[in-house]
Amino acid sequence: MRIILCILFLISAAIGASAQQYDLLIKNGRVIDPKNKIDAKMDVAIAEGKISKVAKDIPATQSKKVVDATGLLVTPGFIDMHTHVFVGSKPDIFADGIYSVSADDFSFKSGVTTVVDAGTSGWRNFPTFKSNVIDKSQTRILAFINIAGAGMIGNPDQEDVNDMSAQMTALTIQKYPDIIVGVKIGHYDGSDWTPFDRALEAGNMAKVPMFVECHLPQYSLEDQLNKMRPGDIITHSYEKITERESVVDDQGKVKPFVLEAKKKGVLFDVGHGGYGFWFSEAFPSLQQGLAPNTFGSDLHRFSMNSGMKNMLNIMSKYLNMNMEVPDIIQRATWNAAQSLKRNDLGSLTEGSVADIAVISLLNGNYGFIDAGGNKINGSRKFESELTIRAGKIVWDLNGLSAQTFNNKR
Amino acid sequence: MNKIQLNKLFVTTLSFCFILFCGASAHAQEIDLLLKGGHVIDPKNQIDSKMDVAITNGKIYQVAANISAQKAKTVVDATGLYVVPGLIDMHVHAYQGNEPDAYIADGFTSLPPDGFTFRAGVTTVVDAGSSGWRNFRDFKKQTIDRSQTRILALLNIVGTGMTGRFEEQDTNDMNPEQTAYMINRLFPQIIVGIKAAHFWGGFTQVDRAVEAGKLANVPVMVDFGEHNPTNSIEDLFMKHLRPGDMFTHTFAYGPANRETVVDENLKVKPFVFEAQKRGIIFDVGHGGGAFSWRQAMPAMQQGFQPNVISTDLHADSMNGGMKDLCNVMSKFLNMGMALQDVIVRTTVNPANAIKRPEFGNLSVGAEADVAVLNLRKGDFGFLDIRKMKLKGTQKLEAELTVRAGKIVWDLNGISAPAWETEIPKK
Repeated sequence: MRIILCILFLISAAIGASAQQYDLLIKNGRVIDPKNKIDAKMDVAIAEGKISKVAKDIPATQSKKVVDATGLLVTPGFIDMHTHVFVGSKPDIFADGIYSVSADDFSFKSGVTTVVDAGTSGWRNFPTFKSNVIDKSQTRILAFINIAGAGMIGNPDQEDVNDMSAQMTALTIQKYPDIIVGVKIGHYDGSDWTPFDRALEAGNMAKVPMFVECHLPQYSLEDQLNKMRPGDIITHSYEKITERESVVDDQGKVKPFVLEAKKKGVLFDVGHGGYGFWFSEAFPSLQQGLAPNTFGSDLHRFSMNSGMKNMLNIMSKYLNMNMEVPDIIQRATWNAAQSLKRNDLGSLTEGSVADIAVISLLNGNYGFIDAGGNKINGSRKFESELTIRAGKIVWDLNGLSAQTFNNKR
Repeated sequence: MNKIQLNKLFVTTLSFCFILFCGASAHAQEIDLLLKGGHVIDPKNQIDSKMDVAITNGKIYQVAANISAQKAKTVVDATGLYVVPGLIDMHVHAYQGNEPDAYIADGFTSLPPDGFTFRAGVTTVVDAGSSGWRNFRDFKKQTIDRSQTRILALLNIVGTGMTGRFEEQDTNDMNPEQTAYMINRLFPQIIVGIKAAHFWGGFTQVDRAVEAGKLANVPVMVDFGEHNPTNSIEDLFMKHLRPGDMFTHTFAYGPANRETVVDENLKVKPFVFEAQKRGIIFDVGHGGGAFSWRQAMPAMQQGFQPNVISTDLHADSMNGGMKDLCNVMSKFLNMGMALQDVIVRTTVNPANAIKRPEFGNLSVGAEADVAVLNLRKGDFGFLDIRKMKLKGTQKLEAELTVRAGKIVWDLNGISAPAWETEIPKK
């Protein structure tokens, strides 16, 4: 009887194997999956757009397609916490305008599979954002919505306190729980705390985090951090401009109240952008315990060609500031997912959507520029080899997944 | 003294004054930006050697060996890099917008170019017929006037441009007079030619485009596919197009609806060589569906080289085998084309094809559009649109891009100071 069972098992296994149950198998890469505490040479199998199995030595015969990732990092697709992607044809503004950019133009080529729009839209124009951009994008787009009803439409309209409704903002968040992950405050020149308080109120009503940008010149940094709740996110953390008091003092010390806020649970995002990242802030911060929680790029028209370039370039900066590779990957994946309260993202957990970055680590002579036009030299750099979104290959730099062309008939 | 001698004396005197003036102002740092120590390839001026390039007031000021660094406010060390004219991408789709049902005209398939150009060394793009005479002004207002990249355009012979495949069939909306008027009377600086594309019928569209081209004295670019059965490209090259007209998607392989330049036995059709000799300009126009190794490789091996290397940049090509102009250029390098020949096909050749010889060179006085390229060595792979791969050992990368004298891309901060220098010393 036992022998018959064994034979039956072998037969069914053989049938299973020849059926190639996986669509795509990424073999021999160094898998770094911080959520699942994996940092080892492993194979990742994908079927029907989902992570099917992560294990050592999954047979190549079980997959329709095999990619050899020897020497490469295999990680969850990156999450860019801070972008402006509500692109449209309106001149000279971000909301539905040309100052925003299309996520797909920049994401996959830097290993990013999810971007979070940082309040480019508000409750009045979020539906337009959704139908015009989010629904048409290959990149997953999540959003913080602005406490200003029409989002980033420029001054003075975006500072109209009468159009900052906590209730309408919270209702909109509740209507689109799969897309809207929080509420954003930024761009207010006054000293009245109403806008900030309304954003907090909306966050409390909808039970979502608040994302604090800058451009709030009358609010002291200490007051902002004091008002923020654990889990709220502050971005442009290492900025050195007048609109945002810096986290590091004149003596190069991280201000004590900033470290207190971090201890309380406030999350610090990079938010590089055109002005938001200075080595003179970021270096002391890293050394004194204020490493960023996430690497938001603040991608938009004015940062895309600057020292920022893309999120992978920011990650390379931290690599050359001597952050360890697994710590970098954690910030680009699982940290971001957790801070968005989207634990379904940012990992290679079996059954989760197959968003994957395959990254090479280049050695050479590189330079990295900050917002002040200052440079560090470096010897290592990340490059995005292959990006997979929902099981589909959406970027393949060197044809890793392709057959070699044979010039014979 | 005859007139020539007088002129000579005048020039000599002027030169002398100039030298005196230079001597006096040597400390005035008359150069804004100096690219030093690079290998300059400037095909128009037949330069292919180690030289320095000096830029002042947004213009090329001097190209010479050993220009003194003391004369320049900013000096960039370009040792080991190639310094070439800002690249011209002769085939892109840049009329981005969010008209819900639009295809390329005012639609999502077009891209705002600045995010793709400078990082690939490109400073000028030519939009290949995204707009027609009815919507060009909208394109101009929305995109052209607001881009840092110089955008030139081919005007579609269809009035509404590339709004949708269906609309592009309307022969009643292919008006040579209106098309020519818009070029000649309204926008001769921006519109450099005419585009015919995506037509399901016979030669009607091409003939209308050529008619408009004659009226406006500009070239026509033809995307000649989507016919079933196919139309003869020999007839197209020899009977319908004029010398100077452009054939794009040269290495497309979709034999059911587009006649190929290389036959099924991998031989370049003889009339293709004849056509190139006749003056037909062959453009790559890689795109999402128009570059196959099985066409390009035999063509290169049999001595048929495209005149212009371009991308056909749009949302459906940007993340595929195409990627950007540097990547498409790298494909040709790895097929055996010399770097100089690749640069010719992305600078002076497209400039001449669109009859804008002021672009694509480093002549003194020209607008300072410059690309500084790094030729990486390593193991690379290059995808065609059929997802077939060619392995290669070299790849071009844009280190620094200068547009009208301004640094608009700096990959590794070669123009930047070390960050510690901004911290005051205690």
